[in-house]
Amino acid sequence: MNDWHLGWRALRVYLAHYRQAPLQAGAILLGIVLAVTLLIGVKATNNNAINSYQHAGEALAQQASLFISASGRDATLDESLYFALKRHGMTALPVVSGTMEDTEGRKWQIDGSDIVAALRSFQHQRPAIDAELPLAALLSGHPLILVSRSQYRAMGFTDNAPAQLSLGGLLLQVESLPDSVNLGNRLYLDISVAQPLLQLSGRLSYIALFGDAAQLKQQLAQSELPLAGLQITEQDQGKALTDLTHSFHLNLNAMGMLAFLVGLFIAYNGVRYSLMKRQRLMLQLLQQGLSRRALMLSLLLELLLLVGIGSFMGFLLALQLSHWLQPMVAVTLEQLYGATLLPGNWQWSWLTQGAGLTLIAALLACVPLYWQLCQRSIAQGTQRFAQQQLHRRIHQRLFIAGVMLLLLTAVLYPFSREHAQSLALMGLLTVAMPLLLPQILQTSLSLLTPLAPAGLPRYAIAETRELTAPLALAMMALLLALCANIAMNTLVGSFDQTLRNWLNTRLHADLYIRPGSGEMSALQQYLDANAPELPRYYQWQSPYYVANGDTVQAVNLLSRDETSIAETTVFKQPDGQTKQHQAVQQVLAGNGIFISEPLALKLAVHVGDNLRLCQDSRCQHPHNTVIAGVYFDYGNPKGEALIAQHLWQQLSLPVPPYSLALGGITGGQAAIDNLGQQIAQALGLNPAQIYSQQKIRTQALKVFNKTFSITLVLNSLTLLVAAVGLFSAVLMLTQSRQAPLAILRSLGVPQQQLWLMLLGQILLAVLITCLLALPLGAVLGYLLIHKVTLQAFGWTIMQHWDWLAYWRVVGLSLGCCLLAVILPLYWQSRRSMVSALQQEVL
Amino acid sequence: MKLHPRLWLLPLLLLTGCSPAAKTTSMGQLLGRAENGFAQVLPGKALTFPTDHLAHPKFRQEWWYLTANLHTDDGTQLGLQWTQFRIALSADAPENPSPWAGNQLYMAHAALTFKAQHFTAERWGRGMQTDQAPAQVSGPPLLVQLDDWQWQTQTAPNNPNHGLLPATLTVTDRQFAYKLRLSADAPLILQGDNGYSRKSADGKVASYYYSQPFIQVDGEVQHQGHSQHVSGVAWLDREWSSEFLSRQQQGWDWFALHLNDGSCLMLFQLRGSDTNDKPFYSGKRMFPDGRSHSLSAKDIHMRPTDWQQTASGRYPVSWQLSLPTEQLQLDITPLNRNAVMPLSVAYWEGPISISGSQQGVGYLELTGY
Repeated sequence: MNDWHLGWRALRVYLAHYRQAPLQAGAILLGIVLAVTLLIGVKATNNNAINSYQHAGEALAQQASLFISASGRDATLDESLYFALKRHGMTALPVVSGTMEDTEGRKWQIDGSDIVAALRSFQHQRPAIDAELPLAALLSGHPLILVSRSQYRAMGFTDNAPAQLSLGGLLLQVESLPDSVNLGNRLYLDISVAQPLLQLSGRLSYIALFGDAAQLKQQLAQSELPLAGLQITEQDQGKALTDLTHSFHLNLNAMGMLAFLVGLFIAYNGVRYSLMKRQRLMLQLLQQGLSRRALMLSLLLELLLLVGIGSFMGFLLALQLSHWLQPMVAVTLEQLYGATLLPGNWQWSWLTQGAGLTLIAALLACVPLYWQLCQRSIAQGTQRFAQQQLHRRIHQRLFIAGVMLLLLTAVLYPFSREHAQSLALMGLLTVAMPLLLPQILQTSLSLLTPLAPAGLPRYAIAETRELTAPLALAMMALLLALCANIAMNTLVGSFDQTLRNWLNTRLHADLYIRPGSGEMSALQQYLDANAPELPRYYQWQSPYYVANGDTVQAVNLLSRDETSIAETTVFKQPDGQTKQHQAVQQVLAGNGIFISEPLALKLAVHVGDNLRLCQDSRCQHPHNTVIAGVYFDYGNPKGEALIAQHLWQQLSLPVPPYSLALGGITGGQAAIDNLGQQIAQALGLNPAQIYSQQKIRTQALKVFNKTFSITLVLNSLTLLVAAVGLFSAVLMLTQSRQAPLAILRSLGVPQQQLWLMLLGQILLAVLITCLLALPLGAVLGYLLIHKVTLQAFGWTIMQHWDWLAYWRVVGLSLGCCLLAVILPLYWQSRRSMVSALQQEVL
Repeated sequence: MKLHPRLWLLPLLLLTGCSPAAKTTSMGQLLGRAENGFAQVLPGKALTFPTDHLAHPKFRQEWWYLTANLHTDDGTQLGLQWTQFRIALSADAPENPSPWAGNQLYMAHAALTFKAQHFTAERWGRGMQTDQAPAQVSGPPLLVQLDDWQWQTQTAPNNPNHGLLPATLTVTDRQFAYKLRLSADAPLILQGDNGYSRKSADGKVASYYYSQPFIQVDGEVQHQGHSQHVSGVAWLDREWSSEFLSRQQQGWDWFALHLNDGSCLMLFQLRGSDTNDKPFYSGKRMFPDGRSHSLSAKDIHMRPTDWQQTASGRYPVSWQLSLPTEQLQLDITPLNRNAVMPLSVAYWEGPISISGSQQGVGYLELTGY
């Protein structure tokens, strides 16, 4: 019989073995399933988001090639330009967009366009839109909102009750379209309703043009259309957004990989345990004439089978996981980056990638084990002493490797300049941490042994040392998850604190009003007449470009009144009040510029460096200036630059302010809200245009919470995976110890003491792991805050330690162990002592 | 007459962009649906000009339909088509005061056909309550416009066409473009009974319909990067109604023929969805001096003699027409057998040549196949 045939027979024997001991196969499968689920789940979520950036077009329309807009933020165009473009034969789409608030204070992004022009923008293949689309109602200007089916459900509507939303005093009916029409999270209205609702009658936010961009530009240049002073930008197919969100997705990927690693630990632990339990069986197979090659082959086939089944199950679960994660990611990307997410399609290639990666990792981990097992002498039985010696040597080597990696991380730390490099450093640290654990456990327990009272307690601690080897892998996985969780909690807690402090300085007025450029003078007149005593603060905004060397970066260019510049700029550089005062004077005189921290990092510039201000990305007529200061900014990852009015006017930027803020309102929040309502009523503004300081604060923190919700969820999932791993490891260990425990019982140790001993042993090991996780988690958190987040988002965060979160994860781990120990003990108590004594010895 | 398939379904086609929905559904089932609230076509109503050149928004559908048989200076034959359709989505004007709010939808088709080449294009637009609207019909002087495609009538006092001609027609698309100067000295011809055109034997379905088949054309045609001077004859149809076909009708075959004796002949048959149903025939012989006479259904005989399989269906592209009372025995052959209009609604429409007892040129439209 050849090796294949024998190997196949051996595989059948293993299957029979697993039928007797399903827990062993279950543990391996569980590890693989969890690893693949998290890996593919995160990958699917990321892929979908990136795909959305590239393919998201105008609502219900194709992706446009060119955009015409007015310069100045929120500036609008006269709709007559759209009519003129159409008469020139161009395929164009008039768009109005804005934010509105409903009666419950929820903010909604409104997208309005000509429904006919949108649907006809498709040159070739149009998406199949439900024939039930209420075209007549849309065209005739019925108050109707179209949303995707997912958004419809996310808004809390069901098919049973009429769906309505009240915006700007108008009750709108909400209807859903299939997700396949690519509406994403947008609220779509026909322009006949959207224009008056957004108070943009006769105006357009921008015009989208379809077709070949170069040809369109040529057509525009040759036409006699009134395009002077307008911005013409080209479609970048999501490049800007992909670049902007790169760090976000990289972080998600890193977390996915971490979870994958934790899952693999469990699977590896399962493989080792099952091999340990089958040692005698395999010796018997060898003794009966099975060749070593056939044995190896059978083990590899077994692994392949388990990886195949586990990966497929993991793939199915991953699709569901991604389905849950996507709305969370969508909220983050929408709120932070203004991205629209479209429904995604799953791909078989994810399964092959997941299974391939798992197989490679499993082979790397298991082949040495298999090899070792296959080389064993037929005459040789299980030699516990030799095995223990081997484990000790391995633990020592792992510890040395861990220390080396730690040292390497420390040496490389000062050289890390980019986000990806810092993530790699974190990867090194992540590998180093679990390597340290087995030796530290051993050593701590050796130190503890003489301190314990003689008798059963000392025996218990001494035996715990022996348990370190079988428990090591599960503990390593737990340590990883604990450290990641502690680090993430530290980051989130620290950011929360930093953001609150920043908002305290940044928000100096009581009421912030954004009336739109057309209404600003009316607002001023109203305030002159009704609240002349209140101090007013102004802000101007316009999309602009800054250039450093060959790098041209699109930014949001701001200007503020003198008081706001002097009092609300939270400086990162320069240090010291005197220098900061000088910097303010320099900017006020028009001789310098302040830039936000994310922009400074992106351009790699510092105070004193020169910068060019440009009207467009070609940067043909730049204005040279110097960086006077870098300020903290946690609101705008795109990058911001701040100049004084002097320079603003010199650059011929829009004269009307973008927003106006009022300070010095006496009478508390009620008076502020009251004034806000009066202004809204008098000028016909919608609630989304007026914000009190309190409201901004609440919303900023809400956005912040949502931003981190996805990462926190992934972290909790990783911890959960580790907990499941620990549970399965302890469960298997306790079950395998039934024979020695039965001996102890037969020697007269009472059941209660036995239970206490077992619990104590496991809890001790977990506690030592948790203690080790404390400093390691803090180091990981430090890297995450001072390197990764700073480089990825451009946010400096003050590190803040959250003990409560730490005790929470420690509690979770201990609870999980308790459950894992009690369950087999309970099973054991129901079996006769003789049957327990007959159990295999570890 | 110039009918168009499934016209009230056009809003739906705008959305789905699908080719003809279900082949098994008869044209009558699609077009025969009665709708309350729209204006009805009634016999005895006198058409008035230039008012009736403009849109009739109370009726559900309407079109301005021009076909032309032309030749270049070197004698190359070609045909071209331009149509602007108007579809009312509801009978009542909207309550929303926004100029964007409306119940009218416009669609335009254009085609340029040579012996071996056939180009087509389509435009859509919404009716708006503003003079600047890219899709509109206004006047006098008459302007029929959808984006940069437009029929613009020039002011000409005492013209027998009452403000319809002379006019300029401009169409531009990626593959082709044309600019035509159109003129006619002949008076307008009212089809059917003084403009009341029956579409079924029982007279339940009808339209208002008039034509100008004696248009002289001079202009330029551009395709594949070069421009050519063209001249020839054209035919304009104007038609509006609220209900087009009976439920039993499947489609139609329509002929617009310029005969060498200077007269024109309009013929159509409406085919039933059941092949056993007898088609409904109608026809009119027209002369440049304004004389015309209708043909009796029993005197019209038409028989397909050749078929062409295309991507959107199998069409009878060659015909034999027999009109004994007119002493006409005509053979119809297409200039280009593949003159399919693969647009939101797919149909066959192309220039033809006439042989037999008379020579001539014309246009053929085939729908419901």
